[in-house]
Amino acid sequence: MQIYVPLLVTLAWRNLWRHVRRTLLILFALALGVWSMVTLAALTRGSMEQQLTSAFANLIGHIQIHLPGYRDDPVIDHRFAEPAGALRDALDAPDILAWAARVRVPAVVSSEQESAGITLVGIDPARERGLSFLANAVKEGRMLMDADDPGIVLGRKLAERLETALGRRVVILSQDSANKIADRGFRVVGIFDSQPEMIETAYVFIGLAQAQRLLRMPGAVSEIGLIAPDRNRLDAPLDRLRAAAPQLDVQPWTQIEPTLKLTESVTDVILMIWYVIVFVAMSFGLVNTLLMAVFERTREFGLFQALGMPPSQILGQVLVESLFLLAVGLALGNLLAFATLAATADGIDLSAFAKGFEMIGVSPMLYPMLKFDDALSANLLVFVLGLAASLYPAWRAARYVPVEAITRT
Amino acid sequence: MTIILRLAWRNLWRHTRRTWLTISAIAFSAMLLVFMITLQLGAYDMILDISLRVFTGEMQVQREGYLDKPQMRLSIPQAAALARDLRASTGLEAVGARAQGFALISSGARSYGVPVIGVEPERERLLSTIPHQVKQGRYLASVDAPELVLGATLARNLKIKVGDELTLLGAGRDGSVAATVLPVVGIFETNNPAIDRQVVQLPLATFQETFSMGDSAHLIAISGPGLRQIQDTEARVRAQLPQGRGLVLLDWERLIPGLKQLIQADMVQNWATYITLIIVVTFSIMNTFLMAVLERTREFGVMLALGATPLRIGLLLVIESTLLTLIGLAIGILLGGSIAVYLYFHGFTFPGLKELHAQFGLPGVIHPKLSFVTFTLGPAVIFVFTLLASLYPALRIRTLQPIEAMHRA
Amino acid sequence: MEYTVVCRNLSKVYRQNSIAVQALADINLEISKKDFLCLSGPSGSGKSTLLNLIGGLDLPTSGDVSVDGIALATLDRAALARLRLTRIGFVFQAYNLIPVLSARENVEFVMQLQGISAAERRTRAMDILKEVGLDGLEDRKPGELSGGQQQRVAVARAIVSGPSLVLADEPTANLDSKTAENLMQMLVQMNAEHNVTFVFSTHDKLVMDFSRRLIKLHDGRIVEDVRRG
Repeated sequence: MQIYVPLLVTLAWRNLWRHVRRTLLILFALALGVWSMVTLAALTRGSMEQQLTSAFANLIGHIQIHLPGYRDDPVIDHRFAEPAGALRDALDAPDILAWAARVRVPAVVSSEQESAGITLVGIDPARERGLSFLANAVKEGRMLMDADDPGIVLGRKLAERLETALGRRVVILSQDSANKIADRGFRVVGIFDSQPEMIETAYVFIGLAQAQRLLRMPGAVSEIGLIAPDRNRLDAPLDRLRAAAPQLDVQPWTQIEPTLKLTESVTDVILMIWYVIVFVAMSFGLVNTLLMAVFERTREFGLFQALGMPPSQILGQVLVESLFLLAVGLALGNLLAFATLAATADGIDLSAFAKGFEMIGVSPMLYPMLKFDDALSANLLVFVLGLAASLYPAWRAARYVPVEAITRT
Repeated sequence: MTIILRLAWRNLWRHTRRTWLTISAIAFSAMLLVFMITLQLGAYDMILDISLRVFTGEMQVQREGYLDKPQMRLSIPQAAALARDLRASTGLEAVGARAQGFALISSGARSYGVPVIGVEPERERLLSTIPHQVKQGRYLASVDAPELVLGATLARNLKIKVGDELTLLGAGRDGSVAATVLPVVGIFETNNPAIDRQVVQLPLATFQETFSMGDSAHLIAISGPGLRQIQDTEARVRAQLPQGRGLVLLDWERLIPGLKQLIQADMVQNWATYITLIIVVTFSIMNTFLMAVLERTREFGVMLALGATPLRIGLLLVIESTLLTLIGLAIGILLGGSIAVYLYFHGFTFPGLKELHAQFGLPGVIHPKLSFVTFTLGPAVIFVFTLLASLYPALRIRTLQPIEAMHRA
Repeated sequence: MEYTVVCRNLSKVYRQNSIAVQALADINLEISKKDFLCLSGPSGSGKSTLLNLIGGLDLPTSGDVSVDGIALATLDRAALARLRLTRIGFVFQAYNLIPVLSARENVEFVMQLQGISAAERRTRAMDILKEVGLDGLEDRKPGELSGGQQQRVAVARAIVSGPSLVLADEPTANLDSKTAENLMQMLVQMNAEHNVTFVFSTHDKLVMDFSRRLIKLHDGRIVEDVRRG
């Protein structure tokens, strides 16, 4: 069976433009549908990616190491020695981008006026670079210089609540290793801003060595956090770390914050559902348009039959028409989507709803992010299902009995 | 008029398949919208209800400025008396004074810095669900009893049980040291991690004594008969609020601004999606309307020649598409509504929702909101769009010339 | 195989909403090569039906038809299509041409379906268009041609694929008398030069005058079959 491709292509293309307005209308519907698929996918992914990235930067990291029991009860008793030997080697391996050891215990911070419950974090600032948000977060004053720095860095919101400022003193109260109340004054050397804002009231930072001295835990830390190049490929570092420190609790982010992982998979499902919905909406129009076009050209199809065109080619002609419609519609839709995404690449400012997003821990700037897979699946879905939907009108075109077709007025 | 109706109806069914396809498109989108809107509004109601009923109350009376900077010294003098007066003058029962502070709370094994709240126990039963969620022991007995209750997670972390004593150490209203030892009489569990991990409640008089508050407190929480009457309740309270004492009445939107914004942001996102869908469907079927009109050009030519006015014909077309739309909408509402009613009784959930909700103390199941508005809002918008879509081809009738029309192939 | 068309006991009954209409009853007919004949009769006499049956556009209720010795009843749809492609040409009363193709492309259409190379298609198309007097107009679409010109293109297309048989249903119905006469003269010439059998179905006296054999139909039967000199 020969396939007369150039003939079918010529006929299909010219037939499309016999009724310009009609073709444009259905193209618009297709383009709009595809645009909405791709754009929404990018916005949703962007929002989700952001949530994840900022969660990681906000001290979650990709993998955390604690003493078993710390995660349920994050207190000073659950501390372990600073990494050395095998563990140290495992951490310094090339498939871990950055790691840091921290002291992390609940504490109270008081100024002259007010006090507040917070989490005290003792850090080595040099190690936190590239790992957590701290590196660029200090907007007033300065970051801690090293693990021995006697200063303290607070969040802006907390500083406001405590009515304190740069240069003033605050007192940290916490439980030390001997179960006694430890307290010491610190001078505020830096004030940081963060997204989401609640980090500003949740954490205060002092030098690691200072924390160890204050809490009488020399050479000990509460946790180690680290980041790897790919958040989905953590098996190798996990295995290595667990082997190097079998007595410690080594967990990936998927276990520590399972809701984050959930967000990712729920997003996938939501997108797919949206795709199918939009497609169904478009397909009504596509099928109807093709059906009516075929009906309109009944006599013409009868003529084809009379001239001896095989029925399969008649079916093919209608399919090629549909193929053109889909291809052009997809192209337009994708173009519009890329234009939209390029225009909003700097982020969509939703700060009108900032407080709302704060509540669920998401930043109000929405950055679209297009994953190739999302765009591909949208296009593939529309194209394949669109052709499938066109089979019915195409089949009808080929089914006309010639004499009925020709004599129909 | 009836003859136009009859004519319109019969015209619809000249091409059954085409008409049914169009009706299906409309029914599909109507069904989707009914389903989604009932679910969406049901979710909002649930979130609002739970958020407010757990603790916050529908509105609160506070000192001006306390909301932004919750400092201990910004208190309401003679708070309990004021609460009693308000109860009498407004007739509302769920009115209670609360005082808020902060303390280091220690059992023998552990210490934590937590918010401490002084409450009027009998009033709390009407304002909050916490008194009804005491899992061990009992709730606070009277307003001056020397006892406290706390959240389950906090109790677990402190490693105490009912009957154990806890030491409270904090700063009083005048800056003096506030210290006391109190027995735990009850442990509550709300499943909201923020509350279970942090909240300690004392009877109001005990709090006032410990923290040198005198007879003052920080806020008066008020709830009316229900969310639907909230405007009414607010008006009543506002009318009875004493002037000139620096007191303000704040509704929940001010108390938890994030909540309203969250709802609004979600609403905006959802409606953007709905409108996109409606537009895609509209353009999809606009083609059908247009082609149908073009097809009947000859017929219209004859009608014009016989003396019908273009207006009449246009009206006929509009009535045809209105009938078609109404049928589609009716089917859509029926289908979507049935699903909504079913879910109303069975609850709507999907894998992952439980976990996602648990983070915020939500039940993980959504019940659609069944109301006239939720059932008809989406379809109404669809109706407007399809009406506009059908106007376009109808307007073209005006430029039709009879002879020319009759000769068109 | 001296006969191009043979019909034996051919009958056709149409069902229209539970009413049966006997369009043709017991037709027996033989058409020789290079015959130039017309089927005439009043409306409803069955002449169009007979034409459609001969051309394989419709199936008889009983009896059989064969073209060039091939029994149409033995062919499936694809084979019938192939038969129409290679052996039978059609000229209809109206709506003969594919609207989106130019005159030349319309003529080339059937040759494309036959798999003839582009170069040869072009030459043969131009030749036949010249023969029907339309060279210079080959790039016009049907919408840009007059009724008479459209019919000429239809004839060109019918002939160019080298069929044994050309069936024309009311070919002059939409033409004025002068154009009709020109068309008929052209067809006579084609019949002489291309060895093709022509069968017309017509009301038009002009067509009848040009025909060498006249078959009259009435109520589905042949009532007269006359050869003229």
